[in-house]
Amino acid sequence: MSRPSRLMFAVAAVGMLISAAAGAQEYPTKPITLIVPWPAGGSTDLTMRAIAESASKILGQPIAIDNKAGGGGTVGPATMAAAAKPDGYTIAQLPITVFRLPLMQEVSWDPSKDFSYIIHLTGYTFGVTTNTESQFKTWKDVVDFAKQNPGKVTYATPGAGTSLHIGMEQIATLAGIKLTQVPFKGGAETNAAVLGQHTMLQADSTGWRPLVDAGKLRLLMVWTSARSPNFPDVPTLKELGYPMVYDSPFGIAGPKGMDPKIVAKLHDAFKKAIEDPAVIATLAKYDMVPNYKNTEDYKKFVVEVTNSERKVIDSLGLAKK
Amino acid sequence: MSNNSNVKFRFNNSELWGGLIGLGLGLFVIRSGLKLKLGTINDPGSGYVLFYTGILMCLFAASIIIASLSEGGPTFGSRWENARWTKPLIVIASLTAFAFSLDTFGFLLSSIPLMVLLLRLIDPVRWSLAIPIAVIAPLGMWWILKRLLLIQLPSGIFEIG
Amino acid sequence: MDTIINVAHGFGIALLPVNLVYCFIGVFIGTLVGVLPGIGPISAMSLLLPVTLSGTPESGIIMMAGIYYGSMYGGSTTSILVNIPGEAASVVTCIDGHQMAKQGRAGPALGISAFGSFIAGTFALIALMLVAPSLASVAIAFGPADYFSLMALGLVVLTFLTQGSMAKALLMACIGIVLGLIGLDSITAQPRLTFGRIELIDGIGLVPVVMGLFGVAEVLLNTEQIIKRDIINAKITQLFPSKEDWKASTGPVARGTVLGFFLGILPGGGAVISSFASYALEKRLSKTPERFGNGAIEGVAGPEAANNAAAGGAFIPLMTLGIPPNVVMALLLGAFVIHGLQPGPLLITQNPGLFWGIVASMYIGNVMLLVLNLPMIGMWVQLLKLPYNILFPLIVLFTIIGVYCSSNNVFDVYVMIAFGVIGYFMRKLGYEPAPLVLAFVLGPMLENNLRKSLILSQGDLMTFVTRPISATCLALAVVLLVGPLLPSLRKKRELVALDEGV
Repeated sequence: MSRPSRLMFAVAAVGMLISAAAGAQEYPTKPITLIVPWPAGGSTDLTMRAIAESASKILGQPIAIDNKAGGGGTVGPATMAAAAKPDGYTIAQLPITVFRLPLMQEVSWDPSKDFSYIIHLTGYTFGVTTNTESQFKTWKDVVDFAKQNPGKVTYATPGAGTSLHIGMEQIATLAGIKLTQVPFKGGAETNAAVLGQHTMLQADSTGWRPLVDAGKLRLLMVWTSARSPNFPDVPTLKELGYPMVYDSPFGIAGPKGMDPKIVAKLHDAFKKAIEDPAVIATLAKYDMVPNYKNTEDYKKFVVEVTNSERKVIDSLGLAKK
Repeated sequence: MSNNSNVKFRFNNSELWGGLIGLGLGLFVIRSGLKLKLGTINDPGSGYVLFYTGILMCLFAASIIIASLSEGGPTFGSRWENARWTKPLIVIASLTAFAFSLDTFGFLLSSIPLMVLLLRLIDPVRWSLAIPIAVIAPLGMWWILKRLLLIQLPSGIFEIG
Repeated sequence: MDTIINVAHGFGIALLPVNLVYCFIGVFIGTLVGVLPGIGPISAMSLLLPVTLSGTPESGIIMMAGIYYGSMYGGSTTSILVNIPGEAASVVTCIDGHQMAKQGRAGPALGISAFGSFIAGTFALIALMLVAPSLASVAIAFGPADYFSLMALGLVVLTFLTQGSMAKALLMACIGIVLGLIGLDSITAQPRLTFGRIELIDGIGLVPVVMGLFGVAEVLLNTEQIIKRDIINAKITQLFPSKEDWKASTGPVARGTVLGFFLGILPGGGAVISSFASYALEKRLSKTPERFGNGAIEGVAGPEAANNAAAGGAFIPLMTLGIPPNVVMALLLGAFVIHGLQPGPLLITQNPGLFWGIVASMYIGNVMLLVLNLPMIGMWVQLLKLPYNILFPLIVLFTIIGVYCSSNNVFDVYVMIAFGVIGYFMRKLGYEPAPLVLAFVLGPMLENNLRKSLILSQGDLMTFVTRPISATCLALAVVLLVGPLLPSLRKKRELVALDEGV
């Protein structure tokens, strides 16, 4: 970049100050980009679209969804943390992998420093499905088969290091079996993988629901604390003898250094959005309920989650060497 | 390009240099692949495909080099024969200048001078036509994008545009 | 019989005046964004999604769908006129389409791509009506190993795109793969080849690469020539395809349609692969393959039909399984969900009016597009009459705007300028950009699926041969690769082709 003269620098600095001050008042003056780090069409993508749609009405500017999938949902936030300006026009959904992956390997971001946390929104219902034509009728069938054929049972996840991957490995350890993970980029892809019987199982959030309803997939278990009202016959992890609950709560954040006024504006808009009955109805389709936390509580929650994740990762031997 | 401009074993043989650049890139890709770890065949790592692509690149580059040595190839001079090489150079220079000014001065303040340069330097368009085109085209596009499609072009430090 | 009743019901919904208006707005916006390179249907649809919420679900989705297939029509215009592909699927249209324009045949090239698109679009819709549910299985039959082999076949196809040295084309393809892999690894999220540049973490965009290698490089090449610098060397003779053009194009359009429709069903890259594949097929079948690359109308008709048929095929996995095969379809899925509908196996039975209404509206939209686009051909051709010294700066301006709009990122403008310069030197040294672009698109999918299939097969390479789809693709690839090396075989084939021709 060219080196601006002192005068120009002064002019620029004054200009920026004015525009920054004006920016906080007028914000938003142009469309906002919301990075959803999952492929379009999965449960996260569809619910985030509904939430964004409602929030955009409150903000008075369109919110464009940008699907940057990969890396278990970390490619999008990592790109934002690295490249986006903290002007409130680029924000991202933060899945739990953003906190977990740094514990497992070298990454380009630091969750404690690189984000301006805005609001905590909701969590998932996870479940394990198999094709209706498969030999597995219950989770016990899977365990029995895997005991005789270690490593032969394959399961599709939306990415390495996702809650689905970690959860399945924990289950496998407890059950004394060995499973093989195949990382995909998100729900739309794992649905296709298990429908086409390319993998035996699918571990994913509720994007599989229409296919389970249509009888194409069989739901073997859910990872919530209580049974889902939509699938009253499907056992939870606890009932199957694994003392765990996984719901991978998520929220949204911007790049570090965002103006607190802009954060507050976004927080208010998204808070109203998850109170919108239309949004609650869309969330309910995917067995999700709003789980609101304000900016401060979200920050505290990130610290807690990082600590508890560290214990799990250590116990599975997946920690960064 | 005439056939008698082909040369063997000459350092200005353009084919040879094309191949050498390819070989260099291939070696670089192999090295990057190795650094990123190959993994195992059961679970290929991040560098797996890069490593093998690099090997292929070296093979293809080598075949280009061998062909250039055995059959010869056109010289750099012959490739640019009858060409006004200064013109592309001017365009490249204007575009580079534009690239550096875009972020600082914004779309309108950078693209209008760029248009003037291009209109006047490739084959001069008369001023009475060049100036209106250079002003109206960027301004018109900027307006359409901003008002109709809600796309904001970079406005630069002066917030113009 | 059910089908006929359903179709009638569908037209009943699509012909409601309000839906006709939405359909027209959709295809009109689609044509606009299709013609502007870089501004694709994705950005237009995301911004207009809220607008569609005011009406009924049918109206909203009819409009969104209109934008999508409308943009498919417009995408080829800039490829033909100024050698700038509006999207990846139009890259191959540049090869012969722009040559035709240079020979003063821009009219027939635009005409055949409009008619080809119409025919392919119509066929795809009829197929969608008749066989959508039964074809759903095709979309999921492809596992990682099959995708890998399909991508490998796609890369072999590129050898048919090249006029010059095979070694150079293959080297370019490898470079394309490597460029495609820049950024965070999609499986482990490790940064690759980013050189510490934060902008590269997300990888290099397709739009700046394509615009640089084609658009900017083309301008640079043209400015240096002293004698023949006008885009058109010959006089513009006619505006519409002649009888001979039609005769030459019938086969390619028919084959391109079928190819495009089936490849379009596959999630990921269907439209792009089908346009390249159609080009390769036509060149292979042609009695005069040397005409390809020098303005053969078959090289425009086939790929254009293919990528429009693919746009129709892409609706199948969305409507029947709720699996969107590309980002545009995913946006439509979003529209469904926000309207309170759930695409999936139950959609057609639970909401027959919606499904058939949308399909019928697409048929009407295709007719509208043809009517809208044909008169514009004359206008586009006039554009070529602008003196080159005014046209070139304008092309540069439009590529810059297009690239910026595709990502809202100034870095992409730098990337485009860099690739423009690289593309210029590549072309000067006889390296062609098309193989690089194809490999750039296919490379990441190739890598991802190779790694997944090796994990699935526990490192057993036999998986590529034992799976029937994968084996078929690989066998085809081998035939295509080895075929040209066996002159006796080729002669025989040419004789056969001649016999058939008579």
